[in-house]
Amino acid sequence: MMKKLMIVIFLLTAFLQASVGFAASIKAEVNGMICAFCAKGIEKKLNAMPEAKGAFVNLKRRIVVLELKEQQDVPLTTFEQVITDAGYTISKVQKVEQSIEAIKTEMKANP
Amino acid sequence: MKKQLFVASLLIVFSFPSYAAALMGFAGSSMLMTEIGEYNQELMVNYAPTVHHAFGVEVMRMSPKGSSATTMTGLNYTGLLKRWNLPAAQANIWVMGSIGEAKGQFNGFSYSPSIQFDYETTRLYFLAKTRMVRAPGMNNDVAAIQAGFSFFETDFDETQPWFVLEAKTTRNMQPSMQVTPALRLINKNYFLELGMTNPFNRGERAPRLNLMLTY
Repeated sequence: MMKKLMIVIFLLTAFLQASVGFAASIKAEVNGMICAFCAKGIEKKLNAMPEAKGAFVNLKRRIVVLELKEQQDVPLTTFEQVITDAGYTISKVQKVEQSIEAIKTEMKANP
Repeated sequence: MKKQLFVASLLIVFSFPSYAAALMGFAGSSMLMTEIGEYNQELMVNYAPTVHHAFGVEVMRMSPKGSSATTMTGLNYTGLLKRWNLPAAQANIWVMGSIGEAKGQFNGFSYSPSIQFDYETTRLYFLAKTRMVRAPGMNNDVAAIQAGFSFFETDFDETQPWFVLEAKTTRNMQPSMQVTPALRLINKNYFLELGMTNPFNRGERAPRLNLMLTY
């Protein structure tokens, strides 16, 4: 009986972990981001976050991406504060199920 | 009165050494700025606790042709008065002020308030600035404009080359008008500018270097 209960708990835990929707990345369109030297702070601050797997900045498309470590999440307000503290304004922000590499590949495919 | 106001406004809208649009880094960052030329040398280090304010120290040396130099050492404040973050551009109004001590040809309490407006896209750049540079018996007020363009757009991890032309006037300075074409290299780790002041005047021709680093 105990063994069956343990198996049920294990399966339930595995199901719950799989079903929780952790976003892979936070992706934002940022206004005013026109120079790499000036936007360095964004990359530095995002990479310093413990939940960060990596950060990506693209000046041409005005895009900033924060890729999260597995099972990690960052509130959008925290992400927005980093951009604001760097001196910029967010025009659009969303959580996406894409890695930085996937976003880069997508951008190359749609120049 | 209107003319005086206009002149005062112009004076307020032009100044600073020849820096980039950003006069401070991001919140929590330190920035080093230096200008090395035959007629002006300047070194400034500041710390920005927020994106709107930075505090630092500054050493500025004015070296007129044929006269003794004056070195001003002091404390410096930089403030971001207004920023416009546009979809593909940024514009800023900065205020800056230094107080300290002058030594050399002129001696005593020195002060140097200034204001700057700049507008920049990934391909175009414009800047107007004015700076009062004063000490007892000394008036080296500066007014300058810069305009430039980048040769091509780059990604965040690449170095972007720019051509920038600056015209600067300095009161009681020889040469009073300095025109400097320069090649500017902008990378996420540094801002480097190499120029030649008054390149078509053999007696006044002088190289100039600007460097900015953020930590």
